[in-house]
Amino acid sequence: MLDFSDIHLNNKDPVYIQISHYVKRQILLKKAVSGDELPSRRELAALLNINPNTVQKAYKLMEQEGFVITHGNQGSFIWVNDCIYSKIEDELTRGMVAEFVKSAKEINLPFKRVIELITELWDE
Amino acid sequence: MIEIKNVTKYYGNKGLGLYKASAKINKGEIVGILGENGSGKTTLLKAIMGLTELEEGEVLIEGKPPYQMYNKMAFITEEGSYFPWMTPYEYGVFLSDFIPSFNLELYMKLLNFFEIDPHKKIRAFSTGQRSKLEISAGFSKGAQYILMDEPFRGNDMFTRRDFLKLLISSLKQDETILISTHIIEDIENFIDRAIILRHGRIKADIYIDDIRKDNKSLAAVMMDITEYQEDRYKGIFK
Repeated sequence: MLDFSDIHLNNKDPVYIQISHYVKRQILLKKAVSGDELPSRRELAALLNINPNTVQKAYKLMEQEGFVITHGNQGSFIWVNDCIYSKIEDELTRGMVAEFVKSAKEINLPFKRVIELITELWDE
Repeated sequence: MIEIKNVTKYYGNKGLGLYKASAKINKGEIVGILGENGSGKTTLLKAIMGLTELEEGEVLIEGKPPYQMYNKMAFITEEGSYFPWMTPYEYGVFLSDFIPSFNLELYMKLLNFFEIDPHKKIRAFSTGQRSKLEISAGFSKGAQYILMDEPFRGNDMFTRRDFLKLLISSLKQDETILISTHIIEDIENFIDRAIILRHGRIKADIYIDDIRKDNKSLAAVMMDITEYQEDRYKGIFK
């Protein structure tokens, strides 16, 4: 059963997107692999203090994006192949670096200085 | 579906309760009724329950007036204990006589969970204990429409969390829920939609996901509507 106990919900992004993002992150870290079962909608709702409609919306989004499949009454499962894995990897890593670049630009850090700092801090 | 059509309510010379309030609440939605004290939250819930006479407008539940839908509705409010002379156990037996879907076993389990003595008179309970009693009764009714007026009043943070978990676990499917509160932190990740009242008027009726997609927060929207001025306090220290 996929573990959601260390997810921290913020009050900025839609909750269903946060759930989907969390699952993608677990997939990237190989903490979630094909065949892993997701909690039932009600279980996850009660765990996170959110409403079952929201969990339903999250599961639907993840099904549409192709990394979750639902078998009628048997529940929902992770389903990842190489193609989906690299798509998720690309999305999350780009997202992370894009955010970093944005905050670097906000404080007017020059490109050269950023590279110097990364080089210096990388091996610490 | 709940249809609130042009509802207006005056409280004699005490002033306005609600003015031309309209909204449609779809089946299965979880809606927060938000606003400051005195903004009309309780009046709106009472109007939906059919517990107050209206100057104008009407409320329809699945196309019918509220009084025809009582067995499908639960109203959880601390002033809802109309039977202070009963014990919680007697109250439960009374409710199961009246409401065919009432689950007495669940009710007794909830009382136990909240550490409410089932054999003490209701009048001897504190505000927090009374609201726990009403929550236990409300969740046990098997209602399709659950309305809650400030269910967190008099309860601490942990009770509020327990309350949400119990509420979520007691849902079967498709229940429509309305919660009035002024503590948005606890519920802003729980509700689908917020209806924000001010001075008896519906000032905003918005979906939480839409607010967040616009990079706004519920707190900011509430501040705009209540015209909260962040630097007003400075006037005191001039």
